[in-house]
Amino acid sequence: MTEDDWGFDPDFARTAAPLLDALYTTWWRVRADGLEHVPSSGPALVVANQAGGQPWDAAMLATALRRHGVRPDDPARFLVHGRPFELPFASTALRRLGGVPAAAGNAERLLAEGHLVLSFPEGGRGAGPGYARRYRLERLGHGGFVELALRSGAPIVPCAVVAGGPGLADRVMARVARLPRPPLPLPVPPAPARWRIAFGEPIAVAQHGPDAAEDRALVLELSEEVLARVQEKVYDSLVNREGAL
Amino acid sequence: MAGRRVLITGVANAFGARLARCLASDAGVERVVGVDTRAVDPDLAERIDVVQADLRSPDLAPAVRAAAVDTVVHNDIVQFPEPGRPRATLHDVNVIGTLQLLTMCDGLPTLRAIVVRGSASIYGSEPGAPAFFTEGDADRFPLRTRFQRDIGELERLVGAFARRHPAVTCTVLRLQPVVGRDLDTPVNRLVRAPVVPTVLGYDPRVQLLDADDAVGALGRAVLHPVRGAVNVAADGVVSLSRALRHAHRPAVPIAGPLWGPLVSAARSAAGQPALPDEIGRYLRFGRGVDTTRMRRELGFRPHHSTLEALGRAAGATP
Repeated sequence: MTEDDWGFDPDFARTAAPLLDALYTTWWRVRADGLEHVPSSGPALVVANQAGGQPWDAAMLATALRRHGVRPDDPARFLVHGRPFELPFASTALRRLGGVPAAAGNAERLLAEGHLVLSFPEGGRGAGPGYARRYRLERLGHGGFVELALRSGAPIVPCAVVAGGPGLADRVMARVARLPRPPLPLPVPPAPARWRIAFGEPIAVAQHGPDAAEDRALVLELSEEVLARVQEKVYDSLVNREGAL
Repeated sequence: MAGRRVLITGVANAFGARLARCLASDAGVERVVGVDTRAVDPDLAERIDVVQADLRSPDLAPAVRAAAVDTVVHNDIVQFPEPGRPRATLHDVNVIGTLQLLTMCDGLPTLRAIVVRGSASIYGSEPGAPAFFTEGDADRFPLRTRFQRDIGELERLVGAFARRHPAVTCTVLRLQPVVGRDLDTPVNRLVRAPVVPTVLGYDPRVQLLDADDAVGALGRAVLHPVRGAVNVAADGVVSLSRALRHAHRPAVPIAGPLWGPLVSAARSAAGQPALPDEIGRYLRFGRGVDTTRMRRELGFRPHHSTLEALGRAAGATP
C-alpha cells in the first residue's frame, strides 16, 4: 500500500534491488564518483548522456544513488523516451522502479513535488552514434531540460556515463552490440564493459527566476554549458579509465 | 441566479435521472425540463417537465423556448450501447444530437450556461502520455477510437458555440471512467465479472470516478459553471493490480494478442456486444488526470477515492 500516484512501488524496488546490484557490481563493475554533488533534499535535475542505452543508464544511476545512500527516503525518478513504455513487462517494471514517460509536464510535476529527476536529453540519438563518435555527446535536445530547471528553480547536476574503454575487447563488444537483437519484450543489457559514472557540481539556475525559461539566449547558453560539463566529465572518465573489461 | 430553469438531455439515463432528482429538490432551482426519447421513471416524471423528443430532430425548440431555460445540461452522450441507444446510433446521438442542441441554444435569449457531460477518453490511453493530463493536453495524441473522435467533435462544437456566445458559460466535464453498483456499462460488467481479464505484462495506472460523484460534479457545475474543460476524477491514481486486490477481484492475465478475441468471445457468450477499443487501451496503458481545476475553480471534491469507488462498484464495500 505504499505505491504513489506515479506508480512508483518501493516494495517492488526493494525486491529488484539484488538483481540491479548484481548488474552494478558484477556485470558492469560500475564506479561512481561525485555523489556528494547530488543535493540531498529538494528538487534537482540530473542531466546525463546515454552510454548503455536506456533504460540501463537510468537504472544504474539510480542504483549508484541508492548504494551510496543518497536520498534514501526519496529514490530518484527517471525519464524514459519512446518504446519501453509500450512493451509488456518492461513498462510495468520501469514504472514500479520510478520510471516516467518523458512527456511534457511529467518532469515539471516531479520537480514541483521535490523529487530528484534523472533525464537523458540526448534521447534516442545518444544510444547509437558510430564507434568513432561514441564518446562525443549528441546535441542535448532543444534545451527543454533547461527551461524545466528554470521554471522549477531546480539545480542542474551534470552527469557523465562512460561504458567501455580502449582496446580490442571494446571494439569487439561494440561490434557485438550492433548485431541485430532478438525481439524480446525486455531490453537486453548491453555488453559487460566496465562503467564509470561521474556527477559534476550542480549548476544553480534559481537566481534567473522562472520567467527566464522564455529567454532563448539564456536557455541555449545554459544548455551549452551543461553539454560542455558533461562532455568534460566523459573525457575525464576516459583518462582515468581502468580498461574496458 | 435565483429560480434556475434547467434543461437536462438524456434524462432517462442513469446520470440524467439522478441529476434531475437532485435539482428538483434543490430550493434554488425553479424548474427542471427533461428531454429524452425514452420513457422516464414515472415517479420522476411527476416532479419535472418531460419532453418526449429526439435531440437529433429540430422539433424540440418550441418547447424549450417556452420553458425559458437558463441552463442546459447536455447529458445525452453515450459511450456504450444502452437501452434505447443501439450501437449503430451512438455517433448520431453524440455528434448530430449535440449539433442540433447547440443550434437550438443559438436562439435561446435566456440561456446563461451549458454543462456537458464529456469524457476523459478524449486524452486516450497512451504509453508515452503525461502521467497527469491537464485540460490543455486534449490534442496531444491522435483521436484513435470511435468514441474519442465523437468526443473530440463534440468538444469542438461546444468550443465554437462558446466563442460565438461569450455571455454563455460553457463547461465540459471530462469524466474518468464512471463506476457504480447501479450502472450497467461494460466497465462495470468487467469489474463485476467472476474474473477480471487483464492484459499480461501490463499493469496500468487507473483512475476512476464513483457514479455518485459524477452526479455531484454535474450538479456542482450547474450551480457554479466555469468556462472550458474540467477534468473530473476521484482522488488517487493506482495500479490496476493493486486496485483489483483491494476490491478482492481475481484477475486473469491474458496475453496481449489473445485478449481481444477471448474477451469478445466471453461477452458474446453472455449476449453482449464486443468491448469498445478504448477499454482495451485503458487496460494496457491506463490514464491519470490532473484535478487541480476541479478543486480550485469548479470547487468540487469527490467523496470517494478510486479504490473506494472500485470497491463500491464491485460490491466489496458499502
